[in-house]
This record gives sequence, C-alpha cells and structure tokens, in this order.
Amino acid sequence: MDLPTLIQTIANSVVAGSVYAIIAVGLAMAFGVMKMANFAHGEFFMAGAYVVYVFYALLGWPFPAAVLMAIPIVGAMGVATERFIFRPTRDNVMAGFMATAGLAFILQVLVGQTWGVGLMRSVPTPYMGAMDIFGAKIGWQRVLVLPSAVVMLSALWFFLYRVKAGKALRACAQDPETARLQGIRIGRMTMLAMAISGASAGLAGALMAPIHPVTPYMGHGVILTAFIIVVMGGMESIAGAVLAAVLLGFVHTFVTTLFDAVTAQMVGVAIMALVLIVRPQGLLGRVKA
Amino acid sequence: MALLEVRGLVKRFGGLVAVNDVDLDVEAGEIRGIIGPNGAGKTTLFNLISGALKPTSGTIKFDGKIISGKKPSHIARAGLVRTFQRNAMFPTYSVLDNVMLARHTRINENLFKAVLGTDRKDEERNLRRAREIIEFLDLSEFADELAQNLSHGHQRILGIANALAVEPKLIMLDEPVAGMNPTETAMVTDHLRRLRDEWNMTVILVEHDMRTVMETCDYISVLNFGEKLMEGDPGQVSRDPRVIEAYLGSEEIDL
Amino acid sequence: MFVNWKTWLFLIAVLAVAGAAPFMVRAYSTEVLILFMINLILVCSYRIPTMTGDWSLSHVVMMGVGAYATALLSKWWDLSILLTVPLSAVVAAVVGLILVTPLIRTKGFGFFIASFALGEFVRLTWVKFRDPFGGPRGMIGIPSGELGGIDFFEPVPYYFFVLVFVFFSLLVMYRIDRSRIGRTFKAIYTDAELAESVGIDVPHYRALAFATGAFFAGIAGSLLAHRLGAVDPKNFDVTTMVYLIIWIVVGGTSTFWGPIFGLTVMTFVFEWSRPLLEWRPLLFGGILIFFLVFLPGGLESLFGKLRERFFTRKPLGKGSAGSSGT
Repeated sequence: MDLPTLIQTIANSVVAGSVYAIIAVGLAMAFGVMKMANFAHGEFFMAGAYVVYVFYALLGWPFPAAVLMAIPIVGAMGVATERFIFRPTRDNVMAGFMATAGLAFILQVLVGQTWGVGLMRSVPTPYMGAMDIFGAKIGWQRVLVLPSAVVMLSALWFFLYRVKAGKALRACAQDPETARLQGIRIGRMTMLAMAISGASAGLAGALMAPIHPVTPYMGHGVILTAFIIVVMGGMESIAGAVLAAVLLGFVHTFVTTLFDAVTAQMVGVAIMALVLIVRPQGLLGRVKA
Repeated sequence: MALLEVRGLVKRFGGLVAVNDVDLDVEAGEIRGIIGPNGAGKTTLFNLISGALKPTSGTIKFDGKIISGKKPSHIARAGLVRTFQRNAMFPTYSVLDNVMLARHTRINENLFKAVLGTDRKDEERNLRRAREIIEFLDLSEFADELAQNLSHGHQRILGIANALAVEPKLIMLDEPVAGMNPTETAMVTDHLRRLRDEWNMTVILVEHDMRTVMETCDYISVLNFGEKLMEGDPGQVSRDPRVIEAYLGSEEIDL
Repeated sequence: MFVNWKTWLFLIAVLAVAGAAPFMVRAYSTEVLILFMINLILVCSYRIPTMTGDWSLSHVVMMGVGAYATALLSKWWDLSILLTVPLSAVVAAVVGLILVTPLIRTKGFGFFIASFALGEFVRLTWVKFRDPFGGPRGMIGIPSGELGGIDFFEPVPYYFFVLVFVFFSLLVMYRIDRSRIGRTFKAIYTDAELAESVGIDVPHYRALAFATGAFFAGIAGSLLAHRLGAVDPKNFDVTTMVYLIIWIVVGGTSTFWGPIFGLTVMTFVFEWSRPLLEWRPLLFGGILIFFLVFLPGGLESLFGKLRERFFTRKPLGKGSAGSSGT
C-alpha cells in the first residue's frame, strides 16, 4: 500500500471509528441502563439521514441546521420507543428486543412509502473540496465527522459525570434497586437513556447522509456492526463501546480497502467470535456473577 | 482415605481473601457441620466444593478424584450434590416429576431412544426409586401435586429430594432448616440422621441454627475470617473458648 | 406410537384432509401448501432451541445451509433426492454445532445478538464466494428430484413427497418434546443452576438442542431448494428470520402446537394482506409489537385463559406422572 493510500485509509478509519462510536455508545447506554436493546437502532440511524435529506436537500435549510434537527427528532423517536415498547415489556427484555424488530419493519415501510424506495437518494455534499495530507485527499465532509464525534462523546461524558441527571443515569445502570431507593425515578431515566440513544444514532445518520447512499434499508448494515461493537466492548460498557468502535473502524476500513466490504463484515464477526471465546464479558465488560 | 479431602484451599476475590488455606477431611458416613459467624467464609467454601466457584489455589478431592475446578454438573455426576437456600425445584412440574427429572444422571439417555420411546424399562425403575425418595422424605401425599402449590417448608424438602434423586455419596445442605418451625426442623434433622444410618450417606451441613448443628452432627468444623478455627465433636466445640469468642462478636449464640 | 386412540383419529383425519387437499384446489394453492408445509418444519424446528431458552437469530441461516448443501450436492454428485435431503440436514446440524460453540458462553441477549452475527457470517460467505456458492445471485439449476419415475417438477407429486417428510419430522419433534430429553431442555430453561446441580451438563444440552433444531431447519431448506430450483442468499436474511419470529410469537412456544398455530394464522394473514403491497411489512411489524406487548404468550396463552374461564373444574393434584407441566 503506498503512502497516500495508507493515509487515506487511516483517515477513513478515523471517520468510520468516529461514526461507529457515536452509534454504538447510544446502544450500549440504553442496554446498560435498563437492558433495553433496540433492534431498530439502525433505523434510527436511517431516520437521522432522512431528516437531513428532508431539511437540507428538499427544504434547503443549511446543513448544520439540518443535522441539529436530527437530534431532537430521532431522540423523540427513542423516547416513544421507550414509552410504548420497552416500558410495557420491562419484565421480559427479550420481548422488548424482538418488538423493536417489528419497529424496524414499520420504520422502513413508512420511510420507503413516503420518500420512495429503490433509487438511492443522494444528498448533495455541502462541503466541497478536500483536505490535503501528504498527498491524500480527504473530503471536508468526512473530516467533519471526527470533531463531531469528539464533541458528542465529550458532551456525553460531561453529562454522565458532571450533571446530576447524568449521574443518576449511571447510578441506574449500576444498581437500579438502590437507585430507586434513593429516589431516582427509573421511568425518567429510561426515557432519558433512550432519548440519548435515539439522538446519537440520528446524529450519526445525519452526518453520514452526504457520504452514504440514503435508502430505507441503510440501517441493515449498521445494526450488525453496532451489535458486534457492543458485544465486543462488553454489553453495558460505554467506554468499551468506544474502544471497540475505534478498533472495528480501523479493521473494517483496512479490510475493505484491501479486499471488499463483505470480507470486512466477516472479519468483524470473526473477531467478535474470538472475543466471545477468549473473554466472554467483552473487552471492558464486567464478569457476570 | 477421607471421602472428601480439602487441602490448602484459598479463594481470593480481588483483594479480599474469602477462604484462607483451609484443610478439611470428611469421612464417609459422617454428618459434618460447618459453622462460623457471618462472613466466616462458609458459603464460599460451600460453593468451592460444589463447583460453583473455582479455587484460587488448593485442591479438593472427592472419592479419590480431583474435583476442584470442575463444573458443578460434573461434580454432581461424581456423587457430590448440594442443596440451595432458595427454592430449588421446577415449579410447574409435580413433585414426582421433579424427582424423576433430577434423576437425570442415573439414566442412560440418548436422543434416539427418547424419540423411539424404548426407554420404558428405565422409566419404570426410575419411577420406583423416585417414589422411594419421596416416601423417605414423607412427601408421598404430594407426589402428584405441582411443586409451586406446596407450602414453603415442603418446597425446601423437595429441594432435598431433588438432590437425593442423583443418588449421591455426599450431600451438602445449605442452611436446610432456615426459617423452619421446630416441628419441621426436627423432621429434617431426623431425615438427615436416617440418611446416614439407613442410606449410608455422608452429609455436610452449613447452618446457623446451633441447636440443630449440635444435635445432629457427629463432627463440626468452625470457620472464622476464612480460616478453620478448630474442629471437634459438638461437646468440644461448644466448650472451646475461641469459638465462644468468635460468636460473642456477633449476635448468634445459644450454644 | 404410544398415543391414545383419540390422537390417532385426529392424525388420520388431518392426513385425510391433507391428502385430499391438492386435488381440490388450484395449482397455485398447492404451491402455497407446499411452502406452508416446509415452513411447518421450520417453525417447529425453531422451537427446539427455544426450549432451553436459547433464542437464536441464526435459525433461518441453518435452513439456508440445508438449501445450499442441497444445491451443491446436486451439482457435484447428482444425488437422488432421498439422499440430498437427509445429507443436507446433517450438514446443517454440523454447521449448527460449529456455530453454537462460541455462543455457548452467552445467554439471553448476548446469545441473540451473537447468533445474529454468526449467522450473518455464514450468509456473507455465500454472498462473497461466487465459487462455489454463486455469490449475491445464488445458485440455480437445482433438480426438482424424482422418485420411481415420478417427476417432482409437478406440484402435486412433490406435495405428497413433502407431506411424508413433514409427517415424520413433526412426529420426531413431537416425540422429542414429550420425552425426557425435552423435559431436560425445559428444566434448563426453568432453572439452569438447579439443572447443573443435579448433574445436567447444561452446555451439552444447549448444543444438542441447537444442532437438532438446525437439523430440521436443514430438511426444510433442502425441500425448499428442490422446489424453487434455486437458492438466493436473500431468502435467508434477517427479514425472513423476523417473519419466523413473528410466527412463533403469535402462536406461543409453551406447547408443541403453538408455533404450528401461529404459522397457520400468519399464513392466512400473509395471503389476505396481499392487496397491501409494500405496506405489508408494516402490518407484520405492528402485529409483532402488539403480541409482544399485550399477549407475549401468543395465541395459545389466550386459549389457556379461555379454558380457565370456562372449564375451571381442574381438580388439584390429579396430574398423572409424566404429563404434568408443559
């Protein structure tokens, strides 16, 4: 691999790792707080992309505004999912999980029937031109992803460790019973977790809209990767998710460049299987008693 | 050679040493009690022997074979079973079905025989043994009753029946009379003695109820702070000043 | 075998209806019936690993393994259909055993997600390798098979061939359910720790349940491949898996008949909702959510409740040994 290609691939890896991190963190958080695993998480990503499509490509809003719209809109979808699917099934987490598979179907159909299936909507690139590093050209559109991820993760960290509501959320994740005894309202916390979960998936989708072909089924590839990351990182560990996301970003990108995307997916699964055999609790997960 | 031989057993949880270099020898046909104040490491020791936990170091030998580090199901098949403090039964099955199911290891089983149903003879033998066990524990009148419909006390006894179904050489009981009234307690201790006398079984008892331990056990091992404090027959243990002192630190007394 | 005369009568009646069916309906409906019967085997096969509490998302891929095995066996060695079906099932069982090995260290969610990933791995090998799996387009040219001069290209003869397989597959799976092994599976689901303490090697039984389920899924896949004459990796993706889950959720899993019932109901819904066109998956998604939120035990639990309402004369303690519990 020559130097420009190497730089390009590293840059793409960083972008991929950043996107994966944003996506996976939301999933890990919802799972950690109340064992809510969202099969439609990929569809939330897709929804974020469509928000940008609608506001930026169709309605002509400025790109940053369109991206910011994805956060509350998909966040609200997360809250609705918590309220109508996870809360009624909280005694049976598997049921909640499977129900979100039904939600995925519903979202795919709704989006497909409203804005059309088949033809991939392409969102025009708001930031033309590229950054030049050692001969490799990296589109500004992609460059944007890394600082966005850093900002988002920093904000999340700040929220979880410095803000009262966030600390309450962490307490819930560690020990729901004690948290309840301390007066923390579990219902509020689960809603909050799913709001963050949805918002982050939506943000990722929004950022990727100009880069990734926008179709109702773009969530399919995402969900598998997200699950692999969460399993590898340790199901409820947010830090584990970030670590695994970056690792997988690099692995996927390099393997795709050297071989192809399908092989990259397979390698990702193989690594996950290896982690399961060698360290079933994941990289940073807690050992289950 | 003792039926159960524990040598130099150590269990560490991170920085905490729950069991510290414990040796234990339990002879066949004994009823052995293991006592100690709260936090003495009894439960950890129990779990180490039954395979629920893996030792940090040390060995456990049962019937001459090493069992330390093996899976609980392997240890059970070797003839060492345990009961649980919680309800250990299959709630939607009848008492008889519970015991029949627990007789799993005593049945030569494979998928083809099961499908073809040629295991009729086996089933009949198992039925007989299951009924014997149920009768021994005075549960016969509930044989066809669903386990979840039994009273709490009877559910605990069903837990013992399920353990006996394996036809073990050694049965370890985890606080078998906790929460029982004197009548039920007397019944259980009577059964334990009969297990030793009539069925040649070895019994290990982890228990807080001192009276039960003193009345039922042949020999008692006392743990404190993860170490073995002393061993002796009930008379020796109840008079030993170290044991009295260990217990004076906590509320349980009544030796 | 070992069932009473009422069940025999019921079986004979069902077989009689099944036997007459293809002669009373259009050719299109016979095709639908063939597909229905193949799905019957599939849905009952999925119940087996769920008996130990292992809900996998890779089951439909096991069916695909059977289908691809059939495609390859037919292409390389031109084997009779009487050989391809069982051999494909064995291949599926073996692949199932390989897959379940890393999975055995997980349960519940972890199992669900990891099984999804591993299933995708297998499916992606079909997509990636044009040789021998045909890549994204799949494989074609699978013979429809023949037996004693009767060509199975025609729906009616194939219908009866499949009927025989369905009968025996369901019979075996029913016997497994009723057997001690079936009860061991359920015991593991009820209380794995207790099961371990009485000597049940839980990982061994979970693997056995998984591989057995894969075996029968392989039969279904093989029968499907012969019928369609082709295999396509898209037939065995997560969408199909979710449909399988819908059938089994709608029916319920606590008895052997639950999944059959769910499949039957949803097959009707599927056919009748054709006019909905692309809105159909939305309906199915909604049905899945509805059942999981309001009726997680499936329709069979509804019947249980109705039976309790109207037939509450159940005397206590009269269950006979071997038949109490489900």
